[in-house]
Amino acid sequence: MSKLISRAAFLRGALALGALGLAGKSIYERQSLLRQIPCRVLGPSRGLGHKLRDGVALLPGESKDSLQKKVLIIGAGIAGLSAAWWLKRNGFSDFVLIELEKHAGGNAASGRNEISAYPWGAHYVPLANEESKYVRLLFEELGIISSYDQQSLPLYNELYLCHEPQEKLFKDGSFQEGLVPKRGLQPKEKDELSRFFALVAELRSKIGKDSRPAFAIPLDQSSQDEEYLQLDRISMAEWLKENRFSTRPLLWYVNYCCRDDYGSSIDNVSAWAALHYFAGRRGKAGNAEMNSVVTWPEGNGFLVESLRKYSEEQIMTATLAARIIADGDRLETLCLKDAGGKELCIKSSALIFSAPRFLAQYLIQDHEKHNNADSKSLVYAPWLVANVSLRQVPSCRSELFAWDNVDYYSDSLGYVMATHQNISTRTGATVLTYYYPMSAEEPMLARRKLLNLDEKLWSEKIIADLERLNPGIRSDILSIDFWPWGHGMIRPSVGYIWGENRRKMKENSGQIFFAHSDMSGISNFEEAQYHGVEAAKAVLAKFGQS
Amino acid sequence: MTYPLLITAFIISTCGLIYELIAGTIASYLLGDSITQFSIVIGVYLFSMGVGSYLSRFIERNVVGTFIKVEMLVGLVGGCSAAGLFLLFEHVESFRILLYATVSLIGTLIGLEVPLLMRVLKDRLEFKDLVSQIFTFDYVGALIASLLFPLVLVPVLGLMRSSFLFGILNVVVALWTIHLFREELPWLRVLRASAYALIVLLVCGFAFSDKLMALSESSAFPDNIIYSTSTPYQRIVLTGNNRDFKLYLNGNLQFSSKDEYRYHEALIHPALASLKSPSEVLVLGGGDGLAVRELLKYPALKKIVLVDLDKKMTDLFSEPGLLSQLNQGSLRDPKVTVINQDAFVWLRGCKNKFDFIVVDFPDPSNFSLGKLYSDTFYRALKQVLKPEGLLVVQSTSPYYAKNSFWCVVNTLNQVGLQTTPYHAYVPSFGDWGYVLASNEAFKKADSYPPGLRYLSAAAFDQMLYFPDDMRPTVKAVNKLNNQALVHLFESEWSEYVEAH
Repeated sequence: MSKLISRAAFLRGALALGALGLAGKSIYERQSLLRQIPCRVLGPSRGLGHKLRDGVALLPGESKDSLQKKVLIIGAGIAGLSAAWWLKRNGFSDFVLIELEKHAGGNAASGRNEISAYPWGAHYVPLANEESKYVRLLFEELGIISSYDQQSLPLYNELYLCHEPQEKLFKDGSFQEGLVPKRGLQPKEKDELSRFFALVAELRSKIGKDSRPAFAIPLDQSSQDEEYLQLDRISMAEWLKENRFSTRPLLWYVNYCCRDDYGSSIDNVSAWAALHYFAGRRGKAGNAEMNSVVTWPEGNGFLVESLRKYSEEQIMTATLAARIIADGDRLETLCLKDAGGKELCIKSSALIFSAPRFLAQYLIQDHEKHNNADSKSLVYAPWLVANVSLRQVPSCRSELFAWDNVDYYSDSLGYVMATHQNISTRTGATVLTYYYPMSAEEPMLARRKLLNLDEKLWSEKIIADLERLNPGIRSDILSIDFWPWGHGMIRPSVGYIWGENRRKMKENSGQIFFAHSDMSGISNFEEAQYHGVEAAKAVLAKFGQS
Repeated sequence: MTYPLLITAFIISTCGLIYELIAGTIASYLLGDSITQFSIVIGVYLFSMGVGSYLSRFIERNVVGTFIKVEMLVGLVGGCSAAGLFLLFEHVESFRILLYATVSLIGTLIGLEVPLLMRVLKDRLEFKDLVSQIFTFDYVGALIASLLFPLVLVPVLGLMRSSFLFGILNVVVALWTIHLFREELPWLRVLRASAYALIVLLVCGFAFSDKLMALSESSAFPDNIIYSTSTPYQRIVLTGNNRDFKLYLNGNLQFSSKDEYRYHEALIHPALASLKSPSEVLVLGGGDGLAVRELLKYPALKKIVLVDLDKKMTDLFSEPGLLSQLNQGSLRDPKVTVINQDAFVWLRGCKNKFDFIVVDFPDPSNFSLGKLYSDTFYRALKQVLKPEGLLVVQSTSPYYAKNSFWCVVNTLNQVGLQTTPYHAYVPSFGDWGYVLASNEAFKKADSYPPGLRYLSAAAFDQMLYFPDDMRPTVKAVNKLNNQALVHLFESEWSEYVEAH
C-alpha cells in the first residue's frame, strides 16, 4: 500500500517545505537579533565615591588603625603614580599612595579577558616633544625610547609605535586612510583643509617673545605671549569663524579632534586648547613619522603597570580618603578601606592630592583655607567607553580594521582594535574599544544618563554603529562591557587654561600639593605626569631633598 | 489557451538547456577537463530526455495534472541543482554519480514535458501545426538559453543564482498552467499551495546564494580536491592526483609536487652548502617539511628546530601517507624538533643561536604577515644568528613584484645584514626570489650535496643575475609602522590578479 508516497503526503510535505522556506529568511534574521549578547556595566566605584559627595560621618580618633608616613599621595592615576615614581627614583620611599579603586590607573585604566588586554580610557601617547623632559625620561627608563640616532632623534621601540594601518575613516560609503577627509571633496573644501593645516604648521613652529614655543607640552611651558594667550578667550568655533573656515569636512575634522581629546565640541573648547592639540605635538623620532603615537593592547594601562612596579609596596588600593584634616604641619587623613568596611587614619607631614581636582572641596576640611580656587566651577565631560569582544577580527567592507576606525556619520569617536599591536599571525578573536563622549548634552544631564545606564539600549546603539562599518558583525559579537565615566575629562572651557582660577588651583599650601591633569585643563598622560612630578619635586624640596 | 501553452514550451526548453549548461559548467569547474565533462553531461542529458519521452506513454489519465507536477519537480530539482552540487561536492565519495544522477533526473523530467504538452495541445491544433509550433518554440528557447548563459547569467548572477532563478521560472509556468486549467484540475488548491511553497523555497535559495556559495569553496580550485581541512589559522586544501598534487593555504598555492624540488633546493642549498661546519638550523614556517627534507641531506647537522604556527599542518605532514612520502618523513626525523608557536613571539623568547636560519613564510599579503618581514623582526632574527651564520628569506617574485622583493632586501640591509639576492624559476610559481643574508660577506659554496636535481654551481651563478626588468623602481624599508611591503605587494600583485 505504501510503496509510493501518497499524493496527499507529497503535497503536504511540499507545503511544509514551502512554509519552512518562507519562514527561513525572517527566522535567520530574527535569530541573530534575538541572541542575547552578554552585557556588563563596570566602571568606577560610584557608590563609594558618592559617599564623599554626600558627606561621610567620620571623626578623628585614636581607636582606628593608624599609619604614620612622611608623605601621603591620594589617587593612583598617572599623576599619583608619577609622583611616586619621582619620589622613588630620588631614593624617597617614606610614603603611601592610596587609591579608591581596586586597581591603579585612573583614566588610564585597562581590562583583560581571555582574548586580549584592552583600554578603558587613555590609549596612546604621541611622540614626546623635546621639552617633554619627564616623558622622555620615563620612555628611556621603560625602553620605549631605545636609543638616539646621529641627529639625536629618539629611536622608539617599534613594537610600541603604532603599526600600520593606523587610522581609517568611513565616509561616503567607503574607507580612506587617515582621519582627515580626503576623497570626493569640493575644491573649496580641499582649500580650507590645506589652509588650516598650513596655519597649524605655522603655529607649531611659532616662538613667543619670551622665547618659549607658542604651544608646549606640558602646556605650562608654553609662551606667555599675549598674542597666543588671547586665543584662550574665544571658543574654537569662534576662531574658525574668524578665520573664515566654514566647510563641513574641515569643521567635522576639528570638531572630531576636540571631542576626541577634550570630550567637548568646538563650541565649548577654547581656541587655545584646540590649537594646542594640533600645534603642540612636535615630537620627532628617527624611526617614525612626526604624528606617530606609541600604543599597547591595554592602552596606557601599559604605562600604569610599568609605573606601578616602581612603588608596588607603597600602593594601597581599595582605600577611600574620606576627610583630610590639616593642623599646622600635621595632616590627618581618615580613610575607609575595602568598600567602607574598615577605618584607617593616615598621619603625614605632606600630602600630594592627585585625585580629580574637584574632589578637594569634599575631602579637605576648610578647603578654602588651604586653597581659595573655585573647584566647583570645573566642568567635566562624561564619557562612555565600551569594550566589544568579537569572535574574529572584523573586516570592514572587504578591508581589515585599522588601529583606529572612525565613522564620519557617527556620534561616537570610533573603535580602537586591541590586538592591532600583536606580532602574532593568529587572526582570531579581538576586542574593539568604543569611545563615546557625551558632548551633545549638558554634562549634568549626561552624567545622570550614565548613572542609569540602559545597557540593552546602548548595546543596540553600538551594534548599529558597528554594523555600518561592517555589515553582519552582530553575529560575531561575544560580549559588550561598559565603563561609564561620569567625570571623564576636564573640559578646557573658554578662559580656563590661562585664567585666574587655574593659576590659583595649582598653588600649594605648604602641606597639601595638588597634582592632576585637571590643573592643566586638558586630560592626557603628559600633563598628568608633569603635575605628578612637579608635586613630588616640591615635596622633596620641602624636606630639603632635591 | 493555445499560445500561452506554446510560450510554456519556450520557457521549458530555455530552462532545460540552462540546467544542462549549469551541470556541464559545474562539472568542468570541479572535475576539470571541460571537453569530457561537457560532452558526457550533454550525452547523459539528451539520453535522459529520451527516457522521459518514452516514459510519457505510461501516463494515461490526468495529463495536465501530471504535466504540472513534472514542471514543479523540474523547478525544484533544476533550481537547487547548482547549490546541491557545489555543497555536496566535498562530502560525497563519488561526485560523478551524484552529478550524472542529477543530470539524468532533470533530463528525464524535461523529456517528459514536451510529449505531455503535445498531448494537451493535440485537440487544439492540427498535427502538422502542433509539431511545427512546439518545436519552433522549443528551439528558439534553446537559442535564447545558450546566449543568455555565457553573456548574462554567469557573469551577472553566477551559477547558483541562475539555477534558482530558472527553477522559479519553471514553477511559475506550473502556476500559470494551473491557472489555465483551473476548471478541470483535481486537487487544485493543493497544487497551487505547493507551487507557491516551492517559489518561496527557491526565492530563499536565490536570496541566500552568497551564503551558500561561501559554504562551498570548490569553485576556487582548478583541480580535484583530495583533502581539505580547516585549522584555527588557515584553510588547508590539497588538490590533484597521485602524480601531481598541489597544496593551497587560504587559497594560495604553496607548492606543486611536480616542481617543488626546484623551490626547496634553491631555498636551502646555496646557503647551507657554503657553511663550513653547520650544526644547528632554525626553520620558520615551512610546516610542510619540504625544506627540512633538503636540510637532512647534510648528515653533519645535529639539530633542526622548525617553528610553524599550525599544529594541524605539521601533524598532517608528519603522519605516514602521501604527504610524508613527499617530504620523506623529514618531520619525524630524530634531529627535528617541531614547535607550534607564533614565529615572532617564539623568536623574542629564544636563547639559542643558529648557524643557518630558513625563513619560509607565506607572501606578505596582509598586515599580520607583513610584520614577519619587518626590520623589527629581522633584528630579532639577527639576535639568534651566529656571527658567521647565514639566513635565507623567501621573498616573493622579483618579476611580478619587483619592488616588494627589493623591499625585503633593503629591510635586511637596514638592520645591518649583508645581502645576496637570487632567484630561481619554479614553473608553477613563476620566477621566484630569495634573499640570503649574513653578518659577513657571503662566499659561494664549492660543492653541493649529491643527488640534487636542479641546483648546481652553474645554476646558482645564473640565479645571481638580475636582468633590468627585475630592478626596483622604489626604495623602501618595511617597518611595523609603515608596512611598506604589504602596500607594495598589494599594488604589484593586484595588476596580475586583475589581468587574469
